[in-house]
Amino acid sequence: MIQVRALTKSIDTGTHRVDILKGIDLEIPKGQFAAIMGPSGSGKSTLLGLLAGLDSPTTGQVLLDGEDITHLTEDEMATLRGRKIGFVFQSYHLIPTLTAEENVLLPMELAGRSDLGRARELLDRVGLKDRFDHHPVQLSGGEQQRVALARAFALKPPILLADEPTGNLDSATGGVVLDLLRAMNREQGATMVLVTHEKALADSADRCIVMHDGLVVSQ
Amino acid sequence: MTQLPWSTSARIAWRELRAARTRFVFVILAVAVGVGSLTGVRGFSHSFRRMLLREARTLMAGDMTARVFALPDAQQLQVLHELEQQGIVRTWITETVTMASSASTPDPLLISVKAVDPKAYPFYGVVKLNPPKPLREALDAQSVVVSDDLLIRLKVKVGDKLHIGGQDYAIAGVVVSEPDRMTGSLNVGPRVMITREGLDRTGLITVGSRAAERYLFRLPATGGPSIETVRAILKAAFPEATIADYQETHPIITRGLDRATTFLSLIGLIALVIGAMGVGSAMHGHLQQKLDSIAVMKCIGARSEQIIRIYTVQTLMLGLSGGLLGAVIGVAVAAAFPGMIAKYFSIDARNAWDAWPAVQGIAISCLVTLLFTLPPLWSIRTIRPAEIFRRDSGPQTPQSRKWSLLIRGAILLGTALVAATLTEGSMLDALRTGVIFAVGLGIGLTLLVLAAWLFLRSLRGALRKAPKNLPGAIRYGMSNLYRPGNQAQAAVVALGVGVMFTLTVFLVQQALVNQIRGSAPRGMPNVFLLDIPGPQRQAVADLIQAQPGVTSAPEVAFSVAAKIVSIDGAPIDQFAVGDAGRRFLRTRSVTEMAAKPPETDILKGSWWKAGDPTPQVCAAEETAQVLKLHPGAVIEWNIWNHTVRTRVACVERTESVRMTARFEFLFSPGQLANFPSVFYGSARVRPPDVPGVQRVVYEKFPTVTVVNIADVMQIVEDVVQRIAMVIRFISAFTILAGAVMVASSIAGTRFRRMREVVILKTIGATRQSIAWIFTVEFLALGTVAGLMGSLLAAAFTALILKRLLEIEFHVDWVAHVGTVGIAALVAAGAGWAASFRVLGRKPLEILREE
Repeated sequence: MIQVRALTKSIDTGTHRVDILKGIDLEIPKGQFAAIMGPSGSGKSTLLGLLAGLDSPTTGQVLLDGEDITHLTEDEMATLRGRKIGFVFQSYHLIPTLTAEENVLLPMELAGRSDLGRARELLDRVGLKDRFDHHPVQLSGGEQQRVALARAFALKPPILLADEPTGNLDSATGGVVLDLLRAMNREQGATMVLVTHEKALADSADRCIVMHDGLVVSQ
Repeated sequence: MTQLPWSTSARIAWRELRAARTRFVFVILAVAVGVGSLTGVRGFSHSFRRMLLREARTLMAGDMTARVFALPDAQQLQVLHELEQQGIVRTWITETVTMASSASTPDPLLISVKAVDPKAYPFYGVVKLNPPKPLREALDAQSVVVSDDLLIRLKVKVGDKLHIGGQDYAIAGVVVSEPDRMTGSLNVGPRVMITREGLDRTGLITVGSRAAERYLFRLPATGGPSIETVRAILKAAFPEATIADYQETHPIITRGLDRATTFLSLIGLIALVIGAMGVGSAMHGHLQQKLDSIAVMKCIGARSEQIIRIYTVQTLMLGLSGGLLGAVIGVAVAAAFPGMIAKYFSIDARNAWDAWPAVQGIAISCLVTLLFTLPPLWSIRTIRPAEIFRRDSGPQTPQSRKWSLLIRGAILLGTALVAATLTEGSMLDALRTGVIFAVGLGIGLTLLVLAAWLFLRSLRGALRKAPKNLPGAIRYGMSNLYRPGNQAQAAVVALGVGVMFTLTVFLVQQALVNQIRGSAPRGMPNVFLLDIPGPQRQAVADLIQAQPGVTSAPEVAFSVAAKIVSIDGAPIDQFAVGDAGRRFLRTRSVTEMAAKPPETDILKGSWWKAGDPTPQVCAAEETAQVLKLHPGAVIEWNIWNHTVRTRVACVERTESVRMTARFEFLFSPGQLANFPSVFYGSARVRPPDVPGVQRVVYEKFPTVTVVNIADVMQIVEDVVQRIAMVIRFISAFTILAGAVMVASSIAGTRFRRMREVVILKTIGATRQSIAWIFTVEFLALGTVAGLMGSLLAAAFTALILKRLLEIEFHVDWVAHVGTVGIAALVAAGAGWAASFRVLGRKPLEILREE
C-alpha cells in the first residue's frame, strides 16, 4: 500500500519560490493500477518521483507498506528502491555503455542476485530476443523503452511506477509498450502508478487521479 | 545491507571502460611513463647493488680493504704484522697524482699514479693488459702500464718511454680493465700503474706526502680469524680508516648510490604523480559524463558505496594496467643507464633490471592513482537521483569542507608515505624526505595551478580585447581552450611541471658549466703546486715568479696533519656530528701564521701578540660554528702522536681566494715547526702561459706537481655533464607524462569536438580549415604551458644558484624561447595523436551516435 499524507514540494529557483505540490493526501491499495493525469506543470512527475524516494518533500510523509520513507538516507532509499520499486522513465534512461542484456542485469547485480537467465527471459518477454548484445544507440526508441520495462521488472518489484512511458514514442509503438506494461504487471500482481496524458490508458486503470496546479482534484 | 561483490564490481567497471577506451588509453600511458622511469631507476639501482655484492671481492680485489690517510706508524705496522702471522695476506696500494711527460710532448701532463705489488695484486680478479700478459710479467721497477688516453694525450705508444719524477719508465702495456677501478681514488688524469720500487725511484712519496694509501687483505680460506674480528682489530689500530669487506657494498659507493637512487626515484615519482593526476582528471571528466547513468543507477537501487566501489575498481584497473606497461618500459630505462655511466662504471646492460622494483612500482602505481582519484570518487555521494527529473532542481549538494580537506590531507599523506618508501637510508631520513617531498610537491602544484589559472585567464581577457579582424582560426582555436569540459588548466599544469623541471636542471647545469669554464675571479689562483720539498720551497717560488704570465706572487704554505682529541675536556665525538661535523673526527691540515693576513677579518676574540709563547689557534668562522668554538675554549690535539693543547684566541673569516682561507685552524708561531710538514703553493698565471710554467717547473723540480685548475675543471665539468644528462633523462619522463596528459585531456573532449566538426562541415568548413583551428588550440595550450614552466624554471634556477651555489643568475633567452617552442610542438603532437580520427568521419555517422 502507498500512503501520502499532506505532501508538499517547493523549490527555490534563486529569484522566486515555486510551489509544485501544495498538499497531497492519497492512498493506493496494494495491487491497484492507478493512473495520474493532469495538464503539464501540475506536479504529476514530481509526485511520482517523491513516491519513489527520488526526491525529498518539503513537508508531509510518504509511506510504503507502512514504512515512512521521507526521512530515509539516500542509501537506505536506494536499497528500498532495489527491493520494492520498479521505475520506468519517459526518456528510458538506459546506461548507454551497457548492452540491452547488461542493462537488465544491472539491478539484479546491485541486489546481489545476478541472474543472466532471467535477464534474457525478460528481454524475450518484451520481444527483444535478437537484441541482447545491442547497445542503446543501436535500438529504436520503442526498443529502448522495452528494455527499460524489462529492467524495471527484473527484481519482481511489488510497486511499479511509470512516468509517461510512451511520451517519447509514436502511438503504435506506445500502444505496444503499454500493452506489455499492463500484461507484465498483471503477471506480477504489483501495485502500479502510471503518469499519463492518454485518456484511454487512464480509463483502463482501476482508478484515475487527476491533478491540477499541485493538488489532487479528483480520484 | 547487500554487499556488491568485488567480482561484480569488476565486471560492471570493465563494461564501462570498454566504451571509454580512447580516453583511458592515454591515461594508462601517462601512468606507465611515470612507473617506467621509477622502476627503471630502482631496477638498475638494485641490480647495481646486487652486482656490487656479488662481485665484491673482485671489485675490492681482496676480502677486505682499509683506506688510510697517512703512512702507518710503528704501532700500526706491528698490528699489520700480527695479522700476517695469523695467515692474513696483505698488499699495499698507493695512489697519488703527479706530472709525466714524454719525448713527443714537452708539456707535462697531470696523471694519476697507482703503485702496486704485481706479485700479490690483485687478490681477486685480473688486470687485463694489451698486449695480453700477466701484470707481474709486465711491471717491474723500470716499467709502467698506462690507460689508453695517456697514449693519446702524450703521443706515445707501447714501448716508448714515460718520464715521471725525473725518471724514465718503459710503457709495457695498456690497461684494458682493472678489477678495483670503482673502489679506487677519483682520477684527475690518465692512469699509470707502477711497482712500489718504481714509485720509490720517483722520490714522490716522503713523510707527510699527500697520497691515498690502501691495504688489501686476503683472509685464509679455512681457519684464521673471521672478517668481523679482523675488522675490529683494524678499526682499533686505524681509527680514521675507511674499512670495507666483501660482505657489504663499499660504503663510499653505497652512499653515492643511495643518494642518486633516492633523488632519481623522487623525480620518477613526480612523473608518476603527473600520470596519477591525469587519472584523477580523466576520472573526473568521465564521471561528469556519467552523471545521468549514476543517477539512474541510484534510481534502480544502487547505493553510493556500491557505485564508488565500481569506479574504484575501474581506477585500480587503470593503475594496474599503467603499472604493468610501466614495468615493461622500465626494462628499457634500466638498460639505458649502463651506457650513460660507462666511463666510470662497467656494468653489463643485460643484468640491469631487477624484478622487485617492478613489483614495487606496480603497487605504487595503483596506490598513487587511487589517491588522486579520491576527490571525483568521493563526489559520487553528492549525485542525487532527482538529477534525472529536473536540471533545475538546484546544484548538487556540495562536498563538505571538512571532507574536502580530509581528502586533500589523505592525498598528501599517501604521497609522503610513497616518497618515504622510495628513500634509501634510515627510517627517520625516509620519513623526513617523504614529508618534505609531499609538502614541496603540494606547494609546487598549488603554485602551478595558480599560475596556470592566471595565464589562461589573461589569455581569455586578451582574446576578448583582440581586434575583430583576428583570423577566425586563431580566435576559434584559442577560444576552444575554454570549451566546457575542457581540462586545459590540468593539461597546462601537467605539461608545465615537466617543462619546469627539465629546464631547471638544464639551466643549473649550464650555469655550473659556465662557472667552471669561465675565468676565475680576480686574484683567484689557477695553478696549484703540490708536494714542494720543504728546503726547495723558496727556489720553486722564485722560479715561478720569474716566468712570463705570472700575475701574482706565488704563495707557499705548509701544512701539518693534526687531529682534534677534545674541546674543553669533552671528546671530539660530542661535537663532530652531522655531515658538516663528521670531518673533524679525521686528521685536519693545519698551519702556522705569525701575523694576521690583511685579508683576514677577526670576528670574535683577538689575534695573538707578537712574541706571545702561549699555544693558540684562530678558528675559521664555519669551523667555529660547527664545533661551537668561542675564544677561550681549549682544544687538545694529537699531532704525530704528540699532545698539544691550544687556546682558541679568535674566530676569523678570510676572503676565499686566499690560501689561508683553506685552513680551518691557524696556529700561533712555534707550535708546528718540529712536525713533518707538506709544502704547497698557488699562483695566478695567465691561462695561455700555464703550460709554460708547468714545463719549466717540471724540468727543474720533477717531483713537484703543477696542477692547472683548468684541467681539473674539465674533469669536473665532464662529471657535471654526465650527472646532468642522467637527471635530464629521467626528468624528460615528466615532460612525456605531461604530453600524454595533454593528449588525455583532449581525448576527453572528443565527443564535443566531433559535434563541432559536424557543425563546421555542415556550414562549409574544409578539413584543412578545421585542422588549423585544432592546431591553434593545441599550440596555444603548449605555449601557455611552456611560458609558465619556463618562468617558474627561471625563478627556481635563480633561487638554487643564488642560495645554494652562490652563482650569479643570467637569463638564457635562447633556452627559454626554445623551451616554449618545444612545449608548443609537444602539445600539438599530443593533441593530434588524440584527435586525428575526428576529422575523417562523416557528419551523419556522428549525428546517428547522438
